[in-house]
Amino acid sequence: MSLLHSIARFFDRIAPAPAAYAHCDIPCGIYDPHHAQMAAHTVVRMIDLINQLEKPGPGATPEQRQEYMAKLSRYVLVKEQHAEIAKHEVRVLWGDYFKPDHLKTFPELHDLVWMALKAGSKARQEVNLQAAEELLKATNEIAVVYWKTKGLETVRAKAPYPTERETVYPKFH
Amino acid sequence: MSPHLEPGDFVVVNRWAYRFRPPLTGDVVVVRDPEVPGRFLVKRIFQISPEGLVGLQGDNTARSRDSRAFGPVGKEAVVGKVWLRLRP
Repeated sequence: MSLLHSIARFFDRIAPAPAAYAHCDIPCGIYDPHHAQMAAHTVVRMIDLINQLEKPGPGATPEQRQEYMAKLSRYVLVKEQHAEIAKHEVRVLWGDYFKPDHLKTFPELHDLVWMALKAGSKARQEVNLQAAEELLKATNEIAVVYWKTKGLETVRAKAPYPTERETVYPKFH
Repeated sequence: MSPHLEPGDFVVVNRWAYRFRPPLTGDVVVVRDPEVPGRFLVKRIFQISPEGLVGLQGDNTARSRDSRAFGPVGKEAVVGKVWLRLRP
């Protein structure tokens, strides 16, 4: 430890000097709301699968119960993971991509993010199709804002997945 | 600004460096971040336009957000010239 650095640190503790940053995170600049939308679709799909799963009745064999438990566990696990992926992706867009200027143009952004995170949590806690659909809807609306900041219009189309829910896609000319 | 500056280095900045002479290419300067109010950046000047706009670039080019992203900055954004580096 150099003496001058120690002296500077001493003075910095008494009267902190502002920091000068050489870079932000890694400014990769690569963001896309599609990850969040896809994860939300997965959550919807898992809840559909859980609801379609035939529950073992009183006369079910141990093997049937085991199979039910195994399938249910897998669906629940994936539902948990993908709700968390959706929340993570929304947080990355919110924290890293969107800037104060975007918020001035799209003041609804904070509410949308809040809705997405709350719906994502609810979709984890419960087997709740409505929560999953709200999560998807919020990620779609965030996608609309994201693509607008890129100067692109969006289209709403039925997703080509088994969920078949309405999804926002960018309109590339 | 790696390898010339590393996280944790202290820099002493001469705020009066450009009172009597203009900024020069190659100078390491502290500037106000044009994207985040209240935040300061430390960058190297790589270009001065005829209009006096200052083009900034980090030494660690692959990981630097600088004039390549936010364009050149006005002279008034330059706080001062880095005069001394104190390394742990």
